[in-house]
Amino acid sequence: MKKTLLKAGVLGLLVAGWFSTNSLYAQSDPTGKKPVTSTYAITNATVITAPGASGTKATVLIKDGVIQGVGSNLNLPSEAQVIAGDSLFIYPGFIDGGSDAGITAPKDPERPKDFVSANPPDEIAGITPWRSAVDQYAADDKSVEDFRKAGFTIAQILPDGGMIAGKAAVVVFGSEYSTNVLKTNTALVSSFRGARGMYPGTAVGVMAKFRDIYQNTKLTQGRSNQYQTTSGVVRPEFNPTYQAMMEVINGQIPVMYTAPSELEVRRAISLQKELGFQLILTGLNDYANVIDVIKAANVPVLISLEIPDDKAIKAQKEEVDEATKAQYSRVQEAYDNAIKQAGLLEKAGVPFAFTTKGTKSGEVMKVLSSMIEHGLSEEGALAALTTNAASVLGMSRVAGTIEKGKMANLVITTDQLFAKDSQIKHVVVDGYIFEFDTKPKKKAGNEDSEGAAKVAGNWNYETESPAGSSGGTFEIVQDGSNYSGSISLDNPAGAGKINTDLEDINVNGKNLTFSFNIDAGGNDITINVSGEVEGESYDGTMSVAQFGSFPFKATLNPTLIAIK
Amino acid sequence: MKKFNYFLAALLGLSITYASAQTKKGSVLIKNATVLTVTEGTLENSDVLVQDGIIKQVGQNLSAPSGVETVDATGKYLMPGIIDAHSHVALDVVNEATAPIVAEVRMRDVVNPFEVGIYRALAGGVTISHAMHGSANVVGGQNVTLKHRWGSEDPADIIMQDAPRTIKFALGENPTRVHGRGKGTQPRTRMGVEAILRNGFNEALQYKKAWEDYNQASSQKGNTEVAPEYDERLQTLVDILEGKIIIHCHSYRADEIYMLINVARDFGIDKLVFQHTNEGFKVAPEIAEYTMGASVFADWWAYKFEVYYSTAFNAAILTENGAITSINSDSAELIRHLYHEAAKTQRYGGMTDEQALSMITINPARQLGIADKVGSIEVGKQADLVIFEGHPLSVYAKPQQTYVDGVKYFDIETDEDDQRLRVSPTEMVEPIFMIEEDHQCMQGTELYFSDISKTLFNTNY
Repeated sequence: MKKTLLKAGVLGLLVAGWFSTNSLYAQSDPTGKKPVTSTYAITNATVITAPGASGTKATVLIKDGVIQGVGSNLNLPSEAQVIAGDSLFIYPGFIDGGSDAGITAPKDPERPKDFVSANPPDEIAGITPWRSAVDQYAADDKSVEDFRKAGFTIAQILPDGGMIAGKAAVVVFGSEYSTNVLKTNTALVSSFRGARGMYPGTAVGVMAKFRDIYQNTKLTQGRSNQYQTTSGVVRPEFNPTYQAMMEVINGQIPVMYTAPSELEVRRAISLQKELGFQLILTGLNDYANVIDVIKAANVPVLISLEIPDDKAIKAQKEEVDEATKAQYSRVQEAYDNAIKQAGLLEKAGVPFAFTTKGTKSGEVMKVLSSMIEHGLSEEGALAALTTNAASVLGMSRVAGTIEKGKMANLVITTDQLFAKDSQIKHVVVDGYIFEFDTKPKKKAGNEDSEGAAKVAGNWNYETESPAGSSGGTFEIVQDGSNYSGSISLDNPAGAGKINTDLEDINVNGKNLTFSFNIDAGGNDITINVSGEVEGESYDGTMSVAQFGSFPFKATLNPTLIAIK
Repeated sequence: MKKFNYFLAALLGLSITYASAQTKKGSVLIKNATVLTVTEGTLENSDVLVQDGIIKQVGQNLSAPSGVETVDATGKYLMPGIIDAHSHVALDVVNEATAPIVAEVRMRDVVNPFEVGIYRALAGGVTISHAMHGSANVVGGQNVTLKHRWGSEDPADIIMQDAPRTIKFALGENPTRVHGRGKGTQPRTRMGVEAILRNGFNEALQYKKAWEDYNQASSQKGNTEVAPEYDERLQTLVDILEGKIIIHCHSYRADEIYMLINVARDFGIDKLVFQHTNEGFKVAPEIAEYTMGASVFADWWAYKFEVYYSTAFNAAILTENGAITSINSDSAELIRHLYHEAAKTQRYGGMTDEQALSMITINPARQLGIADKVGSIEVGKQADLVIFEGHPLSVYAKPQQTYVDGVKYFDIETDEDDQRLRVSPTEMVEPIFMIEEDHQCMQGTELYFSDISKTLFNTNY
């Protein structure tokens, strides 16, 4: 059904395209936004056509989203709009191997009246292989714009969800006049994440459930074939889960396993060896010790475009005893190893690309610079952003380099890409030019003058620990510089939710901290939450004395702002 | 039938690959020790020669073949590596608590070879632990037997690949609290627990028959029968009925222990070990006759209602009645001194040295189905050994060196303060998770079963 709709969409797009070329000069454009031409020439810029290529002075000519030529003696048609590129550098557009830009998680379905947590319907348990990222994607979302601004032109978008979230798709971050979908059904997005309060609730349950689904998809296919060839066979029951898994068991699309840690990488690989599906590893954060394992598995890899935070390193004090010093040095060693791992992966000869899931668009260059500073070559970084990613997505024919006939996806910078003060001036996507303000670097201390982050309102939060995830809402009310609020959480003493007051709410710049108490079987437990507010999202940690700390993420519900 | 077997073979493919992986094997000659063989008496001033991980010779005046290191153990004691029949060390997840039967989950999927608890266990002379699923479910997941090859990076390398499959069952308060009280589903009572078991096994028999019927029909021409749904949960129960898996059942009260004995007898199951078994002394003859015995605490009780009627004489009474009896830790702390725990049976019950040592070596090995490979110092067995300063049943006992497959993984001389294999780059003090059974932490509260508590405490029941 969805497939048909999509096909209709593509057809509609083709018709619209044909229509618009013919009417380009016949109709006025009341919005004034439509470009007057689709032919551009960026002249006399330093062009780096592919990772490792040395920059040469050349002109890039593009028309209708396709690169027409790269060279110094091109004949520029009269309709070409010329962009003087004399001081600029042109790189192939970046490709994001796994992105959640523009993705909004679908609403949790209603629980049926006869819901049994031991045997929940697939859709509620996070098993939704039939879902497509396309249905969750909004091209006009601000994060799409932000990542385009960071140089990304093509992205494989990942559906949000549980252990089997659905199918990824490849989109281009292009103009609003296009649907921008390049490919659908590119991979099955899976993780070891358990469902909340129901089966399968943990990684061990998820792995067992995945095996069960896999085997039953095979059996379903067998029954289906039998039904086609033998008369008198019972009609096979249609099951959306198994139906959507067919492409996986038949090796037509890979399973994209989110495997942040070393042991999760091993688990994904061992599951692949056991069942025989095609695998892409994604979201790798901690992989320094499994590079040889990844290499031996010979599967595509998408590492997180993130670096470990240095809070622990910075918190190390000068005058401490020997035992603490020894501890410090181990953390330092672990940090040094972690920050080098992209470089080590490159040295081991494992081609990799990036996933920006979890990455802040504004930090892309900072992260890349750090990786380069710690051993990743500039060529390797650019390959991860372009050619390697194109190859993971099976799009090397049309994307990844600046060549005649390829998609007109370009990143145009004011200096060499990884130079310290280099800025992105234009991003060309699918032949459309996006221009950005380039300014001298913002003044230091600018952030402080912005004052306290806006925190008042209703927030939806989610927490996660190795044992599962939990969530609810909290509300913060602002009265001048005073804050008060309350939080709802799963009732520790039974079913339902309870409300408890937030205490010690503090806002300092971007930092928001608060605490609350819960009664755990007679023991009063204080939970401290601290983290940073970035726009409407809150990225924090929840810590409980002696029990450790766990991620605490929240998003502000913009409709219900409560400022007194 | 044939097809069914192929299907199973495909599913078991993973364990076959695992089994072919090579783990480190060592050679060593340990000289002049008091050798506590456990099964063949005590040998004064004797030597044990290990080659390629196997005990090759036990005797006096042995000489080391070239290239084999000699360790002088004069004045020291050598005993088989201690085996802990109930542990949760080195598991990233302990409980898939969401359904009354989760036989399909495999603890081998979530083994964490970096957990420092493994090293601490080695420092207490423990070379093998039985890493179990938690006790929230009537039928829990499949456990995994670990060999403490500290320093291994691949989880498969600390799994004892030649150990048989075992599975966790649980009776009494835990499953009735989690499912009955926590979720309002069966089982709410001990009767419900029995019903879950009997219904589960009956369903497994139907499942087995459905596949047999299909396999028979599918070999006929023009067959119109279609393959049944695959269900690893029921398949695992079938494997239990066929004697391929040893049940290890969390239990306390005599009535429920006897109930499970009857259920097992009704379904023809004889591979059954009771865990905890605090009231085992009341049904010791029955346990001795119908099961593979009981694995108990030396003296740990009163952490919840069903564990008040307990005695430190439990292990001795079980032993004297002929039940195979082992002493286990179920704790990352107790696992470090199981030799003390075993010694308590001498104070409470007058066990001989051999009986007491058997409870932490050959007896748990029998209960795990690995007694032909480990659990005593005998020629041909795997060289899992511990050198003690002082007799291991003395309060002054101190493990000096611990060997697994002839490879030394612990040496008190080279023991460093910080033995962690992995350190977080972003946390100065790493979170400590409470991975203990529920009798340790906040028993009697229902906090465990709400989502927030899972997030907060990572409890495993």
